[in-house]
Amino acid sequence: MSTEPVPAASASDPGDAVDAILSATGVSKIFGGLVAVDSVDFKIPRGAIVSIIGPNGAGKTTFFNMLTGLYKSDRGRVEFDGVNITNERPDIITKLGVARTFQNIRLFGTMSALENVMVGQHARMRSGLFGSIFRPPWTRREEVDVREKAEETLKYVGLRPALMHQMSVNLSYGDQRRIEIARALASEPKLLLLDEPTAGMNPEESARLTAFMRKLRDERALTILLIEHDMKVVMGVSEQITVLDHGEKIAEGSPQEVRHNERVVEAYLGSREARAVQAED
Amino acid sequence: MATARPVGARNPVAETTHAIRERIRSDRRLAWALALVVLVLVILLPYAFDPASPFVDHCVTALAYVVMALGLNIVVGFAGLLDLGYVAFFAIGAYTAGWFASAFFATVNGGKGIHILTGTLAGAQPGIHLNFILVLIVAVILTAIAGILIGLPTLRLRGDYIAIVTLAFGEIVRVVAVNGQSIHLGGTNTLTAGRQGITPIDSPELPGMSAFSPLDLRPWYFTALVLVLIVVFVNFRLRDSRLGRAWIAIREDEIAAASMGVPLVKTKLMAYATGAGFGGIAGAFLASYLNTVNADQFEFSFSIFVLAMIILGGIGNIVGVMVGAIVLSFVNVWLIPDVLHDVPSKLGLNFDLTELSFGIFGFLLVIMMVLRPEGLIPERRRQIELTEGVGTDEALFEVRS
Amino acid sequence: MEAAALPVRRALRSSVGTAIRKFLNRYGLIIALLALPVYFGIHDLVNQHSLTHIFENLKDGVSNGAIWALVAIGYTLVYGIVELINFAHGEVFMIGSFVSFSVWSTIGLTLTTGALGVVFGLIVTLFVAMIASGSMNVLIERVAYKPLRNAPKLAPLITAVGFSFILQNVGLEWYGGSQKGVDDLIRAQTDFFTIGGVHITHADVLAVAVTTPLVLLLAWFITKSRLGKAMRATAQDPEAARLMGINVDTTISATFLIGGLMAGAAGLIYALYQTTIWFFQGFQAGLIAFTAAVMGGIGNIWGAVLGGVIIGCIQQIADDRMGGGTWTAAIVFAYLVLIMVFRPQGLLGEETREAG
Ligand SMILES: Nc1ncnc2c1ncn2[C@@H]1O[C@H](COP(=O)(O)OP(=O)(O)O)[C@@H](O)[C@H]1O
Ligand SMILES: [Mg+2]
Repeated sequence: MSTEPVPAASASDPGDAVDAILSATGVSKIFGGLVAVDSVDFKIPRGAIVSIIGPNGAGKTTFFNMLTGLYKSDRGRVEFDGVNITNERPDIITKLGVARTFQNIRLFGTMSALENVMVGQHARMRSGLFGSIFRPPWTRREEVDVREKAEETLKYVGLRPALMHQMSVNLSYGDQRRIEIARALASEPKLLLLDEPTAGMNPEESARLTAFMRKLRDERALTILLIEHDMKVVMGVSEQITVLDHGEKIAEGSPQEVRHNERVVEAYLGSREARAVQAED
Repeated sequence: MATARPVGARNPVAETTHAIRERIRSDRRLAWALALVVLVLVILLPYAFDPASPFVDHCVTALAYVVMALGLNIVVGFAGLLDLGYVAFFAIGAYTAGWFASAFFATVNGGKGIHILTGTLAGAQPGIHLNFILVLIVAVILTAIAGILIGLPTLRLRGDYIAIVTLAFGEIVRVVAVNGQSIHLGGTNTLTAGRQGITPIDSPELPGMSAFSPLDLRPWYFTALVLVLIVVFVNFRLRDSRLGRAWIAIREDEIAAASMGVPLVKTKLMAYATGAGFGGIAGAFLASYLNTVNADQFEFSFSIFVLAMIILGGIGNIVGVMVGAIVLSFVNVWLIPDVLHDVPSKLGLNFDLTELSFGIFGFLLVIMMVLRPEGLIPERRRQIELTEGVGTDEALFEVRS
Repeated sequence: MEAAALPVRRALRSSVGTAIRKFLNRYGLIIALLALPVYFGIHDLVNQHSLTHIFENLKDGVSNGAIWALVAIGYTLVYGIVELINFAHGEVFMIGSFVSFSVWSTIGLTLTTGALGVVFGLIVTLFVAMIASGSMNVLIERVAYKPLRNAPKLAPLITAVGFSFILQNVGLEWYGGSQKGVDDLIRAQTDFFTIGGVHITHADVLAVAVTTPLVLLLAWFITKSRLGKAMRATAQDPEAARLMGINVDTTISATFLIGGLMAGAAGLIYALYQTTIWFFQGFQAGLIAFTAAVMGGIGNIWGAVLGGVIIGCIQQIADDRMGGGTWTAAIVFAYLVLIMVFRPQGLLGEETREAG
């Protein structure tokens, strides 16, 4: 392993003793000549909130895409909840219990907030061609349940009820972020991946989202993996932080450990984030 | 930007129609009442004409085209997959009738023929003769399978490549139909009768309906109407279902759709299969109605004819597609040949207008796509996707490769 | 026990599957392309103890392929730059043939015209046909594609199909619905020379002699000229090109113009080569040429040439030996489907396309 071993702190030890809901071993992705992710080992303890940080272009989103099946990894293995999901199709991974949001919001533009969240439940629904056409009682019931659950989820993420039937393209950025999280939650995930969820939010909104993530984890027994630029959010919410730079994992550990890691400071040196890291001290 | 239409311009006609449409959309009972009125009128319509009149004939054809257009609408309108080879399903459906409801396979069963639930007319002939309903069912099964087979290889392609591959499949089916006389199936039986055509085809013999004949077109009309009602029902149900939502999701952003748990292959294949099935039903019906299955019916231009119906009416809008299909089929079978045919000569020009019909449809496609891509009766989502560029053409397989 | 054994077997199967798929990905298309010539070559060797027949087929394939290559270049350039299948391109080629015939009839070329007159007249015809097809293509771009540049891809493809129908109808009204025989100005089927029993005819020489300099000129133009560089930059990234001060609209129009010029030249060669023209010639030619473009790797000029020659050979073999040409269309289309499915990047295309 190329990564420098970080002194283990018991709470965030990613070692074998911990029950890992997801583990990636030696995962790599190469675009043309560019090694976007370079044999990264990574574990998420069940029930934890874990972050991946790193400068722009470090390979964070690419890593996410490999975990969720959008990219095929060139090397390595990913296991989720004891199942090998390496290079599995995205819909199958979602069905197994991994849900995500996108860095650049990808809602279904002409669908209402509610319909977006209903699509999120696709993997948990059963009605097929027959059910869709003939609409037997169980399909009707399923539709009603799905609609109710979508409403409930949207309320849970704090969307104003008046906006539920609005077309999602017409909604504000913040509301779109909420809907995207609701859509992900609707698929009943065990693991939720959020790609820069606070991008474009003001400090107040970010703080609210941070609190919401904790609430999610506690109320819904979720494990959360976060890509985040806002150090305040990262340091405040994460139990474990993994730092990527140029596709390589350069550090891992508790917020305290990562903050003082030399390579991390080096990677961030001069950048806005570096000052943020230091300021947290 | 795609649309140069002035947004603020006040057009009284457009505003009124918009208001009426909003009213109908918001008031379900009004919508049902309107539908019922239309249905009653449509049922009474053939009684206002002679049972063998050309008008009823045109209506039967138009209804069959409605079935086809709404079938294609599932693929193009709902799932957003541009299929330029839809004629293949018309062909396979028609050949189903040719194979299983005519004397074409004259030597089967030692020349005695095979008869299943057929009436007295077909019962005495050699060849395979299935009851009309069975023919339709077989047509649906065969075309759905064909739809899946044609769909499968296109699934890893981008939208425009899908269009070309489906076109190629349509042409392959046509070439096979044309050359089917040289494909021997054992004995003297061949796959098709090529350009000569398989004829005659059994007319349906259904209990409780008067005889299907060229002299009384009403039974044909009502059969076609029932088929239309079925396809309309299926279109509406699919549109507002789990599958319908998945199709919208796929067509707007298939990467996000897959990430939300929508299996792309299965969902797209369901669109192909159902769309193809209706093409097959319409094909089998038309074969029986026209009393022939001729390889020349299955040209590429027919696929474009059906596509033009959808574009004209309003891609994805069920009512719009019906209107588009009826309008274009009347343009094709009545307006151009019967009404406008002597216009060029009156203007001192020397050409045959019927030759131009496909140029006219081509012109229509260009004009519609440039000026009003959402069609005469737009579907709200499609309008936004087409005019405001909502959604992405990015394909999952490309990202995954 | 079973639970333990299963993943192993699955892994094994998938690794064998992956190996097979890799092999097919790399060589499958080439194997499929060689299948017909090799089969008939062996067939000839066994039955006739000579390869003259298959060489004759391949020679015809190369000269026909030269025509397809010129048409395919139009598809490949346009797709490379605006990612649009210019479905009307086959009809632009057809218009090239039609214009050629009417020009040479107008300037009075007939079977009795002397050799020098024919050469000079045909050079004039070539220029007119190229310019006619080129401007036609630019017109189509302006009317049917440009307004839809931000719409979903489906939209311009539909207008393209619409335009192809309009042009077919123009052709239909122009010279009627059936194949029209035209003057055999160059005595197309007369031997120029014979080599090893293979007859090289005037038509073959014409096709290769017109296509080769055009393609070389084009390749030079694209790599060396300012406009060519602008075209390549726009193909790579239109947004970046715009920022660099390239006029993207002009560049796109120029691309259509060049594609049309090539199609016009192809139209003239086709008319002289086949000595018949008809309004429907563009449909099949268009699909064959598109197949060639995809086969070579879309966006790549040399790919279009390679694809054109290969598909020309396949088409000639099918024409000559399989049901008197009745199956040719189906065979070409079957290749199209195979390529699209198993190697959409084509022979000379890159291994993968990276999407943002
Ligand atoms: N589909 C792709 N094709 C080519 N390069 C890509 C692709 N996706 C990401 N990259 C490259 O990989 C690197 C990592 O990108 P990304 O994972 O988005 O970084 P981050 O999310 O950490 O900012 C970048 O250099 C980016 O340009
Ligand atoms: Mg990122």
